[in-house]
Amino acid sequence: MITEFFRLASQNVLHRKLRSILAVLGVLIGIMAVVMLISFGLSLRGLMTGQISKVFGVDTFMIVDQDVFSGRGHGGAVKEYALDLETLQGVEGVKSVAAVRQRTAFVQGGANVEGKVQQGFFPVLGLSPELETEFAAFTGDLVFEEGGREIEDTDVEVAVIRRELADRLAVRVGDTVLIAGEKSNEIQAKVIGILAASEEEEEDQGFAMGASASSSDTIYIPYAAMDRLWPEGNDFLVTLARVLPGYDVDDVADRAETVLKAEGSRVSAVTSGDITSVIDEFMTYINIFLAGLAGISLLVGGVGVMNTMFTSVLERTKDIGVMKAVGAKNRHILAIFLIESGLIGLLGGLIGTLLGLGAAGLVCWLINTFANLPQGVAFPFVASPVLIVTTLLGAFALGAVSGLWPARRAARMPVVDALRYE
Amino acid sequence: MSLLDLKGITKEYPLGPTTVHALRGLDVSIDKGEIVAIMGPSGSGKSTLMHILGALDVPTEGVAALEGTDLQSLREDELVTLRGRKVGFVFQTFNLIQTLTAQQNVELPMTFLGVRKGDRAERARALLVKVGLAERVKHRPNELSGGERQRVAIARALANDPEILLADEPTGNLDSETGAAILALLKGLCRDEGKTMILITHDPDAAAIADRIVRLRDGRVVEEVRHDH
Repeated sequence: MITEFFRLASQNVLHRKLRSILAVLGVLIGIMAVVMLISFGLSLRGLMTGQISKVFGVDTFMIVDQDVFSGRGHGGAVKEYALDLETLQGVEGVKSVAAVRQRTAFVQGGANVEGKVQQGFFPVLGLSPELETEFAAFTGDLVFEEGGREIEDTDVEVAVIRRELADRLAVRVGDTVLIAGEKSNEIQAKVIGILAASEEEEEDQGFAMGASASSSDTIYIPYAAMDRLWPEGNDFLVTLARVLPGYDVDDVADRAETVLKAEGSRVSAVTSGDITSVIDEFMTYINIFLAGLAGISLLVGGVGVMNTMFTSVLERTKDIGVMKAVGAKNRHILAIFLIESGLIGLLGGLIGTLLGLGAAGLVCWLINTFANLPQGVAFPFVASPVLIVTTLLGAFALGAVSGLWPARRAARMPVVDALRYE
Repeated sequence: MSLLDLKGITKEYPLGPTTVHALRGLDVSIDKGEIVAIMGPSGSGKSTLMHILGALDVPTEGVAALEGTDLQSLREDELVTLRGRKVGFVFQTFNLIQTLTAQQNVELPMTFLGVRKGDRAERARALLVKVGLAERVKHRPNELSGGERQRVAIARALANDPEILLADEPTGNLDSETGAAILALLKGLCRDEGKTMILITHDPDAAAIADRIVRLRDGRVVEEVRHDH
């Protein structure tokens, strides 16, 4: 019987083509918007989690100030913290660690063409050599000018600077700069590399740039040099730790956090899972917002379906009378009209989903093709089966719910009145 | 016991601020196998009587019984089922569903009673053959002539093998030749299958096929004439 009702309903939909198309269009636009926005949101999430896992891997965690990820106080801004690197290294399961420390120091360079010695206060970043050897993905590819090189394990009194700072300090590769630490600590650091001038606004010259508040005037020195200048390690920006094979990164991170906190460090250990869950939480808010927008457009679509169905019921009053005369019960009539409006919803859902996925795919393709994304970064196109199935069911339900009122009116129409209707 | 027995029937319904007294104490009984024509001028209560005879409506007062079952004692769903099984309707304006083919129209009453698809299709085709539309099974109403549409409607009325055929001005929208053919078909079907037919009509030619003519005026029976054929 139900298949017969589907046939009756679908024939009614096909019979009034233009009106059905318009009602379908109303639903379609809403559904398309929902599917496109959510799909693009999924792409965005895929991009972010993909980048995170690329940089982090599954075996790495990060020590940051405890307020950074809680969102308290600093609104996510990077803040220095105190840490004992040896304690961290000693935590069970930790294979290797690498730290970035940040200070501002008095720096003296060479003399300019007028013979005036160049000097000033500049941010200094102390980098563990392990950053390059163990966590290469973090620093990215550094582009050195001719004759420059990276900081190596055994280096102490060396520095890497950017072209902009080299000009300001009037130094070249092989020259030395004086960096003054606390008390009377100071080193004569040999400039071993100059990073090529950044093109335009690109700031992807290494992880440390991203972590530092500064940019072109930062001086990079080995961790060992940092230790000599400021023996007290209360200026950690970020610390990375890799776990031994067979250890669960979340367990080790928890253990490290507990141990460090016991020593008085105000830090938290963050794994890629933690970051992903922060992103997920963020995406949830975005999705709620999108759902609100989508809800409005779907409401409009639903009103369109309702309007179409009222017209349809009115127009087929006589048919309703005839069907009731030949034995249709109220629930049969109700079912026929609910299926009809459900089909309009489903049709809108089907086309809307396809167009929405297409639009999301197109946006991903356009961004990947034309936007100036960093090397190896691309928006993945995500066609979520859950999203598709949910959307289609939702569209049918939307149609059916919108048709409920008109269908009830049809079902309750007295047969005698309906037959008399001309 | 009569097939249909109406006693002391009144029917009132509101029309705007006034109340229409459509039937004012009417007694009629119809026996199995009879062909009864109900005649009368407009406003005499013909349509209202047809609704009650066809179990489409219940009287305000009085007792309307179909095979001894008081229609007023039934719940709405039971009334619908009774109507679906016992009564087949033929209307003046045919009232076919435009979006369905001839066969699908004939299947419709069986669908609502839950007859299986295969049985339904088979019976619908057989009925269309019986009314002379073997070649029109897949046609939709707008591809059929008036006479053909009424034949589809007759096949539909017979779908659930009802006791009673209720024909409301069945020739009203047809030319006289086609009308005569439809009347002959209806009469033949009743005689062959022992159906009871109630004809609501203005048309003396239509009334001429009846065994009995019941005349209404102002909601009452004013004359009953028995025909001997």
